[in-house]
Amino acid sequence: MNHALSLRIGPATFRIGSTWRRPVEALVALYADYPAPVDGVADFTVRLEPAGPFRRWLRPSIFITGDHGLADAAPMSLAHGLLAAEMGMNLQMALGWRRHLLLHASSVEKDGRALVMTGESGSGKSTLAAQLGERGWRLMGDEFALLDLDTGAVFPFPRLVSLKNRAIDVLAAETPQRRMGPLLAGTAKGDIRHLVPNRDAIGRMGEGAKPALLLFPRFGHAADVRAVGQGEVFMRLTQASTNYVALGEPGFAALTRFVADVPARAIDFPSGDEAVALVERLWKECG
Amino acid sequence: MPRRYCQDSPDAITSCVLEDMVLLYHRPSGQTHMVISPVPEILATLDGGAALTADEVLGQLASLYDLGAAEEAGPQVEAHLAELTELGLVRIA
Repeated sequence: MNHALSLRIGPATFRIGSTWRRPVEALVALYADYPAPVDGVADFTVRLEPAGPFRRWLRPSIFITGDHGLADAAPMSLAHGLLAAEMGMNLQMALGWRRHLLLHASSVEKDGRALVMTGESGSGKSTLAAQLGERGWRLMGDEFALLDLDTGAVFPFPRLVSLKNRAIDVLAAETPQRRMGPLLAGTAKGDIRHLVPNRDAIGRMGEGAKPALLLFPRFGHAADVRAVGQGEVFMRLTQASTNYVALGEPGFAALTRFVADVPARAIDFPSGDEAVALVERLWKECG
Repeated sequence: MPRRYCQDSPDAITSCVLEDMVLLYHRPSGQTHMVISPVPEILATLDGGAALTADEVLGQLASLYDLGAAEEAGPQVEAHLAELTELGLVRIA
């Protein structure tokens, strides 16, 4: 690889290599405050390579590969190289991480206790976590929550927050511009802009927290709160985990413990401000 | 001769109760099963390691629970045992 960067996000270390300079330059700028791997050896390698022999120069098109890859992944435009690198790192985690039970969820922390939010793309979990991270909570991650198999604590994976479409303006209004990445317009998921987590989130990326509340957020509906039964929670979390089956019995033990111990609510909200108010209210109630 | 059923092996299953549901983790297959009554109760009759017929399982259940009419409960227990056998959670002795 002509251009490369090594970095640590939470407990995981990555080496990202690219045929092109531009995606790595963008990563270096946005991940400037992140530490390098302690021993210099990365858990995962991500490679951004030309999709074909001439695609380095001619309509440059990126193919994401690495230790773990998807055979049918579509090539991406070089203009979206930063997104490709982020997707590559997510892919390595989703397919290769075995040290924790990996939940596709955002999480934030306050007073040593973690709020975990899971839902499909567009549910608002990422935006809500980012907003809470700007309003007195510690952002632990917008994509993966790492559940410790022995202690049941949630550990952070505070990568760049991937803001999509309307969420971009919402967060840009309350975040310093230096923490906002370039606008990636017209990606497969619409417009995307990355947000660099604040100093607290990055500085405490090794610090876990006891899970205290699980939310299933749903953006775009009238405000509502519903209890969710433990059977449904378990089922939805197995669907939200990419390594539950691979972990075997330790994964079963960790997930059942989480479901039995952590109260769960489904919340609907029409706007970010109302969601934050709802979360603060539920947090007080479960405290 | 009626069929006799027994547990897969003494430590094949670990379970967890979540409200009205029981999760069964089957160690040999690595599969998780979500079950509700009367499946956990049926499995519990085989906990001692004995190989029982469906009628004997029904008898044990009847001594602990009000099962209603035996002519209805009998085929249900048999059907559950057959299903559990297919899943590998119970074996035919």
